[in-house]
Amino acid sequence: MNLDNRTISMTLPAEAEYIDLVRLTLYGLGTKIGFTYEDIEDMKVAVAEACNNAVVHAYEPSNVGTLEVRFERLDSGLKITVRDHGYSFNFEEKVRQASSLHDKSLEEVNVGGLGIYLMQALMDEVEVRNDGGTEVVLTKWLSKSEEMV
Amino acid sequence: MMNRQHSFEIEKQTTSESNLLILKGELDLSKAAELRAAADPFVADTQRRLILNLKDLGYIDSTGIGVILSLLKARHVLKAPMGVENIPPKIQRLFDMTGLTPFIQETSINVNQKG
Repeated sequence: MNLDNRTISMTLPAEAEYIDLVRLTLYGLGTKIGFTYEDIEDMKVAVAEACNNAVVHAYEPSNVGTLEVRFERLDSGLKITVRDHGYSFNFEEKVRQASSLHDKSLEEVNVGGLGIYLMQALMDEVEVRNDGGTEVVLTKWLSKSEEMV
Repeated sequence: MMNRQHSFEIEKQTTSESNLLILKGELDLSKAAELRAAADPFVADTQRRLILNLKDLGYIDSTGIGVILSLLKARHVLKAPMGVENIPPKIQRLFDMTGLTPFIQETSINVNQKG
């Protein structure tokens, strides 16, 4: 089976109100491929976090850019690429430092880095590239039982 | 119907005991400010318990979790109780994963100053 032709791409305004369209598409495609409900819910959050970062950090408020989301079907999984063409904000550094709220007190915690932490916790693979924008590549593998469906 | 299920709504109920916010639909980056604005007026009301009911919440991401965390922090500083209740399993899982759960437990047993 040639999977090269089975890529789905979306280009959308890098604005918060459009991120639900990415989640809806992911839900539809995830169901078609045979991911479990839980895996689809995990991917929805992870992909939305990548979109959130682009929407919040990539562009000046006065200059709304675009967000490109590409869904590539793999032999036994799904690869989702979220790309912007805006300002790169040391995303790789943030990925290294991302942490959860565990083992901290309520006085000292803050929410910074939580989105990136979730992205890593919910996907099987996360890659980040900065070159004239930020590209986040998220991969989820089908578990054995799902593949048999 | 699709539209209603995916949009976000907040229903407010104030009684002598509590300020209750019922969150419905999908809470994401585009709606986080709406929750903050709805909840802010109740943060300083230490006479009443602040309650978020998540029974009908279908989706949350780190921005929604961030708003809940900032409300917990503010109530904690005031030593005022706050409850986050009826958490659906898939949202509970994200709260556990991020480490929010212990703070929800901690803040739920804060004792009202005049309590």
